[in-house]
Amino acid sequence: MHLTTLILSSSLILVIAILIYPLLTTLNPNPQDQKWAITHVKTSVKAAFLMSLLPLMIFLDQGTETIITNWHWMNTTPFDINISFKFDHYSIIFTPIALYVTWSILEFASWYMHSDPLMNRFFKYLLLFLVAMILLVSANNMFQLFIGWEGVGIMSFLLIGWWYGRADANTAALQAVLYNRVGDIGLIMAMAWLAMNLNSWEIQQIFFLSKNFDMTLPLIGLILAATGKSAQFGLHPWLPSAMEGPTPVSALLHSSTMVVAGIFLLIRLHPLMENNNIALTTCLCLGALTTLFTAACALTQNDIKKIVAFSTSSQLGLMMVTIGLNQPQLAFLHICTHAFFKAMLFLCSGSIIHSLNDEQDIRKMGGLQNLMPMTSTCLTIGSLALTGTPFLAGFFSKDAIIEALNTSHLNAWALILTLIATSFTAVYSFRVVYFVTMGTPRFLPLSPINENNPSVINPIKRLAWGSIIAGLIITSNFLPSKTPIMSMPLTLKLAALLVTIIGLLTALELTTMTNKQFKITPTIPLHHFSNMLGYFPAIIHRLTPKLNLSLGQSIATQLIDQTWFEATGPKGVSSLQVKMAKTVSDAQQGMIKTYLTIFLLTTTIAILLTMI
Amino acid sequence: MTPVHFSFSSAFILGLMGLTFHRTHLLSALLCLEGMMLSLFIALALWTLQFEMTGFSAAPMLLLAFSACEASAGLALLVATARTHGTDRLQNLNLLQC
Repeated sequence: MHLTTLILSSSLILVIAILIYPLLTTLNPNPQDQKWAITHVKTSVKAAFLMSLLPLMIFLDQGTETIITNWHWMNTTPFDINISFKFDHYSIIFTPIALYVTWSILEFASWYMHSDPLMNRFFKYLLLFLVAMILLVSANNMFQLFIGWEGVGIMSFLLIGWWYGRADANTAALQAVLYNRVGDIGLIMAMAWLAMNLNSWEIQQIFFLSKNFDMTLPLIGLILAATGKSAQFGLHPWLPSAMEGPTPVSALLHSSTMVVAGIFLLIRLHPLMENNNIALTTCLCLGALTTLFTAACALTQNDIKKIVAFSTSSQLGLMMVTIGLNQPQLAFLHICTHAFFKAMLFLCSGSIIHSLNDEQDIRKMGGLQNLMPMTSTCLTIGSLALTGTPFLAGFFSKDAIIEALNTSHLNAWALILTLIATSFTAVYSFRVVYFVTMGTPRFLPLSPINENNPSVINPIKRLAWGSIIAGLIITSNFLPSKTPIMSMPLTLKLAALLVTIIGLLTALELTTMTNKQFKITPTIPLHHFSNMLGYFPAIIHRLTPKLNLSLGQSIATQLIDQTWFEATGPKGVSSLQVKMAKTVSDAQQGMIKTYLTIFLLTTTIAILLTMI
Repeated sequence: MTPVHFSFSSAFILGLMGLTFHRTHLLSALLCLEGMMLSLFIALALWTLQFEMTGFSAAPMLLLAFSACEASAGLALLVATARTHGTDRLQNLNLLQC
């Protein structure tokens, strides 16, 4: 076999094997030692990362992609299911990035969770999640993708509810599972349609056979699946609630890897969507609505993790917009760059939270620039990358997306919403940086602030390097399959930068008003709208269950008990009979002997009459 | 008429008169009813033998089955009367008549 393909295939399979090995050691009935999490899990992820650089280099050099079909798993007569891995440029580039981010997060988690007695189990759950995610991105058929999809959903549930003694955490985990389930309906519908009409779940066959079919129905199913998993508007409340989990969980699942699974599904199956205008328009408008709504909600939140969660949701909306623009590669680029700076923002938040003795409210932080210089610097770098500061990581993807949006002949409404959301990004990012790092401290004096432990600082530094140079590296090595439009008016070219600067200036202006109060009781309906998340959870989480439960109660009481049982059923029959019996028995006076004697006399007379 | 014919006819008529002329207890009416049923049973069985219609052999059994049902209905009425009026004596049944 040719050397290139041999190295490529073996190293990719080895990556997955390296990740599975620590999970197999947990099947041992003897308990692991204290350091198992660090010696086994973190080392295996680091080794898997270094191993996955090999296929990445081969791909960058020669452009080899591979499909590895291992095992014929099951079949019905016309339908086969195999275990098959597809390592095209999406998964070859995503896998090292995911492993790099996970390595940093695991090192951070060994500091963050070190006082937790069940730390080994925590690391095992994170590793299981990672394996499911790698399965998802490397899947070549819908069945394997579904296995990965469900796997990440279940691990998300277990990890969000990690501190299960807290009722809010349990509610948030349940919310995540329920909203994901609604999305799964769409995925299963798409899979069923594909199995019935195209008779295959292999991605290559689907691409080839779908040219003759009207693919609107499965595409709507896939968009619903992405709405559920990637928290688009309508199925979005679970993502801010998922911040109940520990910070490493938020960093890994709900910023870099799991929530992009929905977008990744749409990117993978993008050739089905290229010519279907209904699907593209749905993606565009849904993404634009999501990005603006969640950015607006992020403006007035006070919990630092919730602000970062809403910013994740806003960037996911932006990725959805990009898919609606028929630019899957730009969406993938944004996934990759976003992973770095978002994970870093979460790690910085985690470091700040632990240092201030579990304080998460930004109104009670401040002045950390001098007390935690490394963390606050990296927070600033991450925020700058998020807003799209030129030549940091976020710039290459975000600016390219907005340029593509500006020069397309599509929906102007979506364009305006996206630009407003971009300016909001600058506003809330600056708000975080202002409240956390600037000004005078507003926290308690005896806070255990320290950055001494290398397990905290090294991951944050690594991700900071990633946030700075990843955009440049990926764009210079990526051949775009669609030619970007290079010539446009100057205003359009600078549009993203201009709206960001406008947002930043507005935010700077607003900071001068933070210590002035103009009215004693201000009427601030817009603030309330934003702070209560648009009243969406308040309405949906209470109204729909209440309507369903009252419908159930009225069916059980009024329809079944009162109508079927009493009025028309057994009791109704008996009450009718009693009425008739009472009416008839009015005529009978109880003189039985007289009645019977008359009866005998009548019979005798009748017989005698016939004999005569 | 033949002696057999005379015997079950007279049994029937005597039972009927006992049913109509019972004086104190309702239970005696039910007993006479049973006697009537018994005489009818004998009549049907003799009909089969006399006319040698083997296909008619099931008729007495049918009568017996239905007479059992009717006897149980009569007993249920007796019990209901006893529950509401205290005894099954006929004087009690129209005691509250105005």
